[in-house]
Amino acid sequence: MSATDLQTASRWVDDHGECLYRYALVRVRKAEVAEDLVQETYLAAVCGYEKFGGRSSERSWLVGILKNKIVDHFRKLGRETSFTDMEFLSDEFSEKFVPIGFWNHDLGPHEWKPEPDEVVHRAEFWQVMRDCLSKLPEKIRAVFTMREMDDVPSKEVCAILSVSDSNLWVMLHRARMALRECLEMNWFDTPAGGTV
Amino acid sequence: MPDEPYNPSPIGNPSVLARRNWWQTMLVKFIGKHTPKCREMVRILSQSMDEPLPLMMRIKKRLHFLICCWCQRYEEQLHYMRRTARQFPEHADEASDVPFSIEMRERIKRKLAETPR
Repeated sequence: MSATDLQTASRWVDDHGECLYRYALVRVRKAEVAEDLVQETYLAAVCGYEKFGGRSSERSWLVGILKNKIVDHFRKLGRETSFTDMEFLSDEFSEKFVPIGFWNHDLGPHEWKPEPDEVVHRAEFWQVMRDCLSKLPEKIRAVFTMREMDDVPSKEVCAILSVSDSNLWVMLHRARMALRECLEMNWFDTPAGGTV
Repeated sequence: MPDEPYNPSPIGNPSVLARRNWWQTMLVKFIGKHTPKCREMVRILSQSMDEPLPLMMRIKKRLHFLICCWCQRYEEQLHYMRRTARQFPEHADEASDVPFSIEMRERIKRKLAETPR
């Protein structure tokens, strides 16, 4: 690696390393795996720098590479992961609905404010989102984050994690329901979230 | 269950159609009877985030939203979560205070320096 490349890569580590590492850790939980993924990301970034072209911010570009590395990581793990841990999939939100199937209106979704464009500037929102994600069972979280954070098409998520379409939909549905509930309770219904 | 099994409309329901008069009550009952119940609707809404719904189901969803602001909110919130979740990775440094130690930083830089291009 040339001295200039190394200098650039060093700056990337200083400027974005913390963000990449913390994201990787949210996804894979193990510090050493997260560090390896960040390492691989920087290597790939140095090799592919010519392709960058400044179309997005440096951070978005690096995060994009890291997302691919994470997907590869899960692809390798996929065959070894069994998706039998389905107790989370039992209908734990049944109290939200009256027996004939309509919302129990006292427990139905509240209005969410502020708008997404505003919350992205609030560090507390990201902390709540991370806490809520961490409450999801590991496999459900893997499915949800791959689909919603990494924007991997659902067919591909099925292939990577070896789950059927219908299983994927059930898992995503439960994850969304649980995350929605958690965000509402811990952010949107609190003074910090701005609706109270 | 209840004497009125197709009543999705409580007092003060803020939905577009509620039981505000005889005509609306009839409509609410009709739509409540011929569109999926909310428990099923939220499952369908989640699925619609991953693949397009058939035309007939899209129509039923629209009709259901007329009598149920909660399902409509639910769908808006699924999009809200997606929109914010996609931005989470770039804000991950704000989401936690897990240390990115100097040792780790140096280790990564060292490995980069050692790697031939």
